[in-house]
This record gives sequence, structure tokens and C-alpha cells, in this order.
Amino acid sequence: MRVLIVEDDPLLGDALVTGLKQRGFEPDWVQDGREAQIVMRVEPFAAIILDLGLPGLTGLELLRTERARANKVPVLILTARDAVQDRIQGLDSGADDYVVKPMDLDELAARLRALVRRSKGEPAPLLHAGGVALDPAARTVTRDGQAIDLQPREFTLLQELMLNAGRVLSREQLEERMYRWGEEIESNAVEVHIHHLRRKLGTDIVRTIRGVGYVLPRGKHA
Amino acid sequence: MRESRQGSVRRQLLVLLLTAVSMAWIVAATVSFRDARHEVAEVLDAHLAQTASLISVQRDGDEDDDEVDTEHAPVLHRYGRRVMFQVWKNGTTLGLHSQHAPDAPLSAVREGFSDEMIGGARWRIFSTWDHRNGVLVQVGEQSYERDELATAVARNFVVPLAIALPILGVMIWAAVGRATQPLTHVNQEVASRAADNLAPLDLADAPSEIGALVTNLNQLFGRVHGLIEQERRFTADAAHELRTPLAAIRAQAQVARSAANDAERVHALDGVMAGCDRAAHAVEQMLTLARLAPDAVSFQPAAVQIRDVLTTAIADLAPAVLAKHMEIEFTGQQLAVVVGDAGLLGILFRNVIDNAIRYSPPGTKVDVELDVAGAEAQVRVRDAGPGISVEERSNVGRRFYRAPGTKAAGSGLGLSIVQRITELHRGTIRLETSPTGIGLQVVVVLPRVREV
Repeated sequence: MRVLIVEDDPLLGDALVTGLKQRGFEPDWVQDGREAQIVMRVEPFAAIILDLGLPGLTGLELLRTERARANKVPVLILTARDAVQDRIQGLDSGADDYVVKPMDLDELAARLRALVRRSKGEPAPLLHAGGVALDPAARTVTRDGQAIDLQPREFTLLQELMLNAGRVLSREQLEERMYRWGEEIESNAVEVHIHHLRRKLGTDIVRTIRGVGYVLPRGKHA
Repeated sequence: MRESRQGSVRRQLLVLLLTAVSMAWIVAATVSFRDARHEVAEVLDAHLAQTASLISVQRDGDEDDDEVDTEHAPVLHRYGRRVMFQVWKNGTTLGLHSQHAPDAPLSAVREGFSDEMIGGARWRIFSTWDHRNGVLVQVGEQSYERDELATAVARNFVVPLAIALPILGVMIWAAVGRATQPLTHVNQEVASRAADNLAPLDLADAPSEIGALVTNLNQLFGRVHGLIEQERRFTADAAHELRTPLAAIRAQAQVARSAANDAERVHALDGVMAGCDRAAHAVEQMLTLARLAPDAVSFQPAAVQIRDVLTTAIADLAPAVLAKHMEIEFTGQQLAVVVGDAGLLGILFRNVIDNAIRYSPPGTKVDVELDVAGAEAQVRVRDAGPGISVEERSNVGRRFYRAPGTKAAGSGLGLSIVQRITELHRGTIRLETSPTGIGLQVVVVLPRVREV
């Protein structure tokens, strides 16, 4: 799951990138408000972690502008400002969550998962498709109660397909959701991962729509 | 209510005013008494002289009544006993005289006024020669009369004063009480205030003297309020400022704990240490700034050789320069003595030079230059960093402010400290674009002591 970290503090930004990677996210990091604005308009982030005291464009300005443009991406404000008034202002400016520094990385990850889940209209913390259940927090997948061992990329691909069940995603869309910037992508990486998923979970887990992309059929939720 | 050793204004005014009124009155009474006595004396003297001439005229008609010469004149009035006369024929033989008159002459003086003691009392005597009849007429009057009259006149002054003084006292007491009521009001309001209530006092209908006091009090309240507000904001800012390094330290530690490999763990632990260094630096800077607070600064002025301060500061920071593969050069090493605190000046220049090093790209050079111009010592510190845009220059002095895009670690307090110390030394500081066109030049100007 790709997330964007907007944080001008180098040390904290570095820790957030590594910490969220450890917790199964694909984080990208920018230190400037304007840069964040450009990036979040072109990249399909599942969620954004936003600091308020930013150079270039403050967090609240960025948030208001993007909400005014009907940008629906879930936003979690991460800031040193703890006053009740600040929290109210942050949430009323369009934030979906508000966390005061210093924070716990596990909690931050859980909040991000919750934000993404809600943004997809998915109330249950576990994702289900056919006999397959995916636990984003524990990063485990089971098929008919049997634990299945997936590579991190395979897990991310399955998670994206399950979060968008019933929607056809092109290879490019899947790549955008799986890889951070500048990551080396093999031209047939998605095909390879799909192949592995089918081998481990059954051929009918993912349908191929020739010339368009892939879809995880909806309606067989447990 | 505690009263000072001076007592209340009311009591002081009462005593002062009553004393002043009494004194003025006493002076007036004394002058009047003397005037009255003088006037009475003149009137009575004239009266004596007139009596003497009347007796002489009487003699003219009774020229041959020598047989009654020794008879006593009758006493006609109750004052009569205090008046007497003698008629001396040829100045030697006692002729007509009043009943109480002694046989001896009333006075040795033969012409004019004299004061005599007769029968244990003071008498005023007028003597005159009636040359036509060859008789000496002496008329006497007891002086006691005169004093009594004058005293009666003076009493007319004293009695009203004795009655008026208590009334005046009550009126003064009431008037002063009324006039000082706003003062009492201000006093009560200040006394009943909570320690944190620094709202201005209401000075409606206060007289000008008290109005000035209230205005000054309000200005003081305003300044104190400003200081407290500044401190409160500083504490809040400081707490916020420490949150980010703390968040970084905690996050890095958490990353280290769940690190997948040694490289990741070492990287995160380095982050923890860097975060601690940064928090420590921020705390250090905050403490420095707190020590420079207007009410806390312990300024030890002495003659300070700026060159020595700069040399020490540069030597202290040399390791940081070497670590970034940078160069630092100190030029214009002339003598310039400044009156100030060597310790504070050291902090000032360490901050300026440290900033230059922090914001410079590796491999560049920092120039420190000392220049003496007239009554000023100028220290210029140039770096080859990103500089500060003209619009941002007014902001950077704000506490905790960090210029946008700032990548280098810092607390945002350095320039606040530098400005404060410069202020304490009556100097100025300005930020300019370096003459080379790249980077920032910080110019600190301090008044110097001219060579004796």
C-alpha cells in the first residue's frame, strides 16, 4: 500500500519511511508542501501522512486546496501542535485523522490501515474473496483456513486487488500502487506476481481481461 | 491597611494645613496686637496731654483760688483711681491735685511723657509747664489700662481662631478624604487583585495626579503582561519544538527494534543518537536564551579583545569544519576592544559561525573578518550556503523560526540568541547577501573602545 509522507524534519522523515516499510507499506517522502501537492495529484497514494509546519505550503493550506479539488485521498495529520483548537481546525479542514508527536509507529500503521479500509467502504479489518482472507495488520493470508506464504510484492498485489474487488485494474495502475518512485520494475513483474498468486491461491482468484487488465471478482465474500 | 512611617496623606495634610493656618493667624494677631497697642498708646497719650492742658486752662479761671490748692479733686469715674494729676506752683509747691496723687512729683521729667513706678504700679505721666501761670501740671494714668485695651483687640483675633480651627480641621479632613478617594479606590483594587490579573485599572474620573499614577501602573501592567505572555509562548514553543526530535528519536528506536538486518538497525540507532544530539542542542539553546532574559542576565562588562573571542570560537568549531571537509579563514586580525561580557560574546560568535558551517555545503569555505571603522568593530561572517531571501530575513530572528526548505538540523533559536547578545552590547546585526553573490553574510557591529 503506497503512502505519502509529508514531513520536513529529516530525522523523523527517515524513521517514518523505514518504520512504515517494516510495517508493510510502500512509503514515499517529500519535505516540502508544494512538492507534496504535485506528487499527490499524479500518484495514487492509499493515504497521506501530513505535517502541518511545512515550508512552501503549510499542511492546512495543502489540505484545504486538495479537498476543494475533491481529492478524496485519506489524510492523517501528524504534528507537534496538540491544542484542542488545532485538532478541531485540522479535522475540519479535511483531515481524516489527527495524531500528535511523538507517536507510536505501530499505532500509526494501524490508523493508516483503518483510514484506507474506510476509504474503500470496507468495514471489516480482514479482506475476503472466495475462500481467501487477507489480514493487512498481521500481513497474513489464509485459504480455507490454511496459511499461505506470500512474498511481500505478492501480498501487496493481492491486497490492492481485494481492496478494489470488482474493478478492473490495468497493469500500469497495479504497478503505480505497488512500487515507490524510482524502484526498478521488470516489464513483466505484474504478470509474474499474478502467476504466483494463481499458483498459491487457485487459478480463479484473479481473472484476466485481455487487453485491459486484471480483476478480483466481487460477490463471493465470506 | 498598613500605614507607612510617614502616616497617611490625609493626616499629614490636616496637620500641615492647620499648622499653617494657625501660624498665619498668630502672626496676624501679633501684628494687630502691636498695632492696637501703639494706636491705644497714642490716643491715650493725646488724651493725657489734653487733660493736662484742660487743667492748665482751669487754672486760668481760678487764678486766685489758692485756698483750694491743696484740696483733693473728687473721683468721678471707676477708672478715676487709675488716673491722677498734680499742679505744682512754680514747679515746687504742690497745689491742686487728685485724691490719690502722692505728695512727691509724679515724674522728674518737667516736660513731655515719661513712665514711672508709683506705688508698685506702672504709670504713664505727662508733664507740661504752664508758663503763663508759672505752674507745672503732671497728669498720670496707670499703664495697665493700655495693655488691657490692646489685649482686648488681640483677643478679637484669637477667639474666632479657637472656634474656627476645629471646624476647619473637620473640613480639611473631609476635603482631603474626598480628594484622595480615587487613590483609596486604586489601592483597594490593586490590593484585591489576583496575581495574574494584569488588566488595566479603570481611571475614569480620577484627578490628574492620580490619573498619571494609574496610567503608569497600567503601562507597567502592560509590560509585565507582555513579558509573561512572551514567557508563556516561549514555553509552549519550546515544548512543541522538542516534540519533533522526540518523535524522531522514538520512531528511530522503534525502527531499530523491528529492523530486519544489521544495516537497518545501525542506521536507525544512528538516527536515535542524532535525534538526542539535536534535542540536547535545542535544550542548550533554550537555556542560553533563558539566561539572556531581561530579568536574568548577569552582565559582567569588561574590556574584551574581540580578536581573542573570535579565535576561540573558531578553534571550538574547527572539528565541525573538518568533518564537513570545509575551510574556515579568519582575516583582519586587528585589535579591537569592546566593553562587554566575554562569555556572552563567545556565545554570540559561536552561534553565527556555527550557523554558517551548518548551512554551507561540504567542501566550501567560511570567512570570518574583523574590521575596525571609527568607533565600531565589525565582524563579518560569510558562507557559501543557500543564503536567506530578503523576505525571510525579518522572520529568522523569531524564536524557533526556521527558514523554509531548511535541511540542516537546528533549533531555530540561534539568531534570537545572537540578536539578544548584540542588543545587550548596544550593537547591531544585519543579514546580507555575501559580496561574492553566493551565500549569506552576517555583519555584527559593536561599539568599540578607542585606543587610549
